[in-house]
Amino acid sequence: MSLETLVRRIATQVRWRRAEHYAVRGLFYGALAGVLLLALKFFLGPWALTAAGISVVVGLLAGAAWGATKRVPLADAARLADRHYGLQDRVTTALEWSARADRTSMVDSLVADATARVAALAPRQVIERQWPREARWLPLPLLGVLVLLVTPPIPLPSGRLLDLSPSSESEETRDRPEAGTLEQEKRPLPRTAVKTPSFEERDYMQRGMTGAGATAGDLSAVFKDTSLANQRPDFNSFLKKGDERLKMLEQVDRLPDLQSDFTASQYKMVFKKSKALTGGLRPDQISPQKLKELLEEMERLGRKGGGNVGSEVSEGMEALEYGQQDRALDAMEKALNKLRAMEEQQRSGKNLRGGRESERGRGSDRDRGRSGGGGADDQDFGEGEGLLPGKGKSPNPKGEASQRLRASPYDVGVEGESRQGRKDGYDTNMTGRSGKMPSRLGYLGVIGQYRKQMEDTLAREQVPRDFHGQIRDYFQSLDER
Amino acid sequence: MTQDARVQEFVTSFNALRSEVEKVIVGHREIITHVLFGMFAGGHVLLEGVPGLGKTLLIKTLAEGLELKFSRIQFTPDLMPADIIGTNIIVEDAEGRKHFQFQYGPIFANILLADEINRATPKTQSALLEGMQEGSVTVGGASRPLPPPFFVLATQNPIEMEGTYPLPEAQLDRFLFKLRVRYPALEELNAIIDRTTHATSASVHRVMSGPNVMSFRELIREVPVATHVRDLASMIVMATHPEWDRSPEPARRFVRYGASPRGAQALILGAKVRALAEGRYNVSVDDLKTLAAPALRHRIILNFEGEAEAVDIDALIHDIVQSAETLVGQAKEPFLR
Repeated sequence: MSLETLVRRIATQVRWRRAEHYAVRGLFYGALAGVLLLALKFFLGPWALTAAGISVVVGLLAGAAWGATKRVPLADAARLADRHYGLQDRVTTALEWSARADRTSMVDSLVADATARVAALAPRQVIERQWPREARWLPLPLLGVLVLLVTPPIPLPSGRLLDLSPSSESEETRDRPEAGTLEQEKRPLPRTAVKTPSFEERDYMQRGMTGAGATAGDLSAVFKDTSLANQRPDFNSFLKKGDERLKMLEQVDRLPDLQSDFTASQYKMVFKKSKALTGGLRPDQISPQKLKELLEEMERLGRKGGGNVGSEVSEGMEALEYGQQDRALDAMEKALNKLRAMEEQQRSGKNLRGGRESERGRGSDRDRGRSGGGGADDQDFGEGEGLLPGKGKSPNPKGEASQRLRASPYDVGVEGESRQGRKDGYDTNMTGRSGKMPSRLGYLGVIGQYRKQMEDTLAREQVPRDFHGQIRDYFQSLDER
Repeated sequence: MTQDARVQEFVTSFNALRSEVEKVIVGHREIITHVLFGMFAGGHVLLEGVPGLGKTLLIKTLAEGLELKFSRIQFTPDLMPADIIGTNIIVEDAEGRKHFQFQYGPIFANILLADEINRATPKTQSALLEGMQEGSVTVGGASRPLPPPFFVLATQNPIEMEGTYPLPEAQLDRFLFKLRVRYPALEELNAIIDRTTHATSASVHRVMSGPNVMSFRELIREVPVATHVRDLASMIVMATHPEWDRSPEPARRFVRYGASPRGAQALILGAKVRALAEGRYNVSVDDLKTLAAPALRHRIILNFEGEAEAVDIDALIHDIVQSAETLVGQAKEPFLR
């Protein structure tokens, strides 16, 4: 067997396999068409059987013909021969190079070698059958054809399609008798018989018990009303309460201010208002009306708290009448001081922390603290008394607890400037109200302790080394004062 | 002598040389075979492996089996290019006149063993570039040809080891094959112990001369390659390039630089030697598949992701070859096309 003969045989095998492959595909699609034709047997009549048979046969034959007549390149056939006979591309290379002009003497050896090997081969079927994907589903259309052959024609539904468009009531009543009995059972009741709930039917009469303390327009009373819990369930009442609350929610200006800080004292609120009124403005820029309202509120607070700020308020009102706003502001300031003293006194009475009189008032200074309204700020301690640790009359050996930072509305700060001297230093002064108060600590008595604490802190804490000298210089400058 | 006789002579000589080497080297048959492929293809071979696996011994034994001048350079960090190539020195003749005379370096040999090549600096490693590619070296403006056949066998330790310098890509590309020497199996290890710890050692006979080698190199180039085999070689090399639109996903993901055209040349030349060594007159697809890894593994540079995920370059090449086969229609029965 020569190389060409081998390749031609392989090509023939390929054609046969192709014919099988495409015949199965054609049969599948022909059978599908046959199923369709037999499904229309009702209309096509006896012609449907003939047409279905023809489609199956034509599909089969057309597929086989297509596969058999498809061209097989000889190079592909040679490669198939090499692969399936284990010739390691000898046939392909020999056929290709034998036709080339630049062939070398080794090509002759190659051709001879390939021919000898091919001659020793026994002809056999080497191309394997390859089924198409459609082969898996082929039984289904074939079975469909057989079933439809023996079954009677399928009548297709005729007449108009169901009208799914919205119909009038008269059409419903006209079609209803034609419907089955089941439909009659499911027929809905006449619309007029259905009683739909209406908001107009609600009972808006107020119950006797729910009105305990509740008057028209009193919002807090409505929200505090818990009497519903003690009553029987009454849906109308519930609806009514809900409606009332919804109406109130629409009246924004009457809603309680739920976001404000009720933990703050009334005095602090007044103080904040005064700050907001006077902040950053000259006396002539302040609204007299708002100032008047604020003074009135102070008077109200004073009356409620038992204090007497009436004189200051009257003075302020009088000043406002004469257009003396600065005088009115002074009066407001005095009234504020009185109110603050009044609150301090109240806090001390309740043993609340932070009250300035809470600890101090135990001694003989109690009377001093009460006198003069703002007298608590004016009191002083004697030498060796007060807040110095281990001294004074306080039973607390570590001294009095200091005020929390910014616990008071009066801001406290430190200002200073550098001082040129033998050594550079800083002069510092306290600002705010604390700056006006006399020092409660003996300067020379504590500076030594402070310097010692400074040295301990420098040794213990992670203070940057570059700042050590600066800190020591500062304390040295304090010594030189 | 007919072509068949020449081919038979090559097959005989090839097998004889391999047998001589195998007298000393236990196992590593594939490594020995590939080293011989590289030598007959006219290329240079790089052997990589941890110390103690017999790389140097393999090359020394091969040199003993050939009637060729053998030279060995132990690469060290302080080795200089002049130590390899040679240099001009001033000599004084009998009449007292001084003149420059070229002192030949160890590169002027037929078989050069560059032992632990990656222990020298890249500057010194690059001294071999011209010799490996051009077969000549230039010193002091004068080009001096190297004696044919010139064959560099280099060994290197894995780059993960201490005191190593990675070979430059240009240097790597000049090696036809890069072979990985692996640990011997248990039986091979027993045989190594038996052979190397006895008083007598195996003697290696010379079975091939330099002209023989050159003659076989010419013969090998006559081996024909079918178009579809050549196309597959080109497709394999192209598929190593991540920017190629038909390259497979692993190459796109893990490769920074693909193989150069030298890779395709190495693939075909190595396949030709393999075919002829098996007594075959043509290159087959199997030849390409077998030699794809040795010819391409040092020419594919992984990207960061590939390095980070420790991608096995041989597995990557296997994927690339499969993808290339699909591209040229090797993997599909033709009658379905």
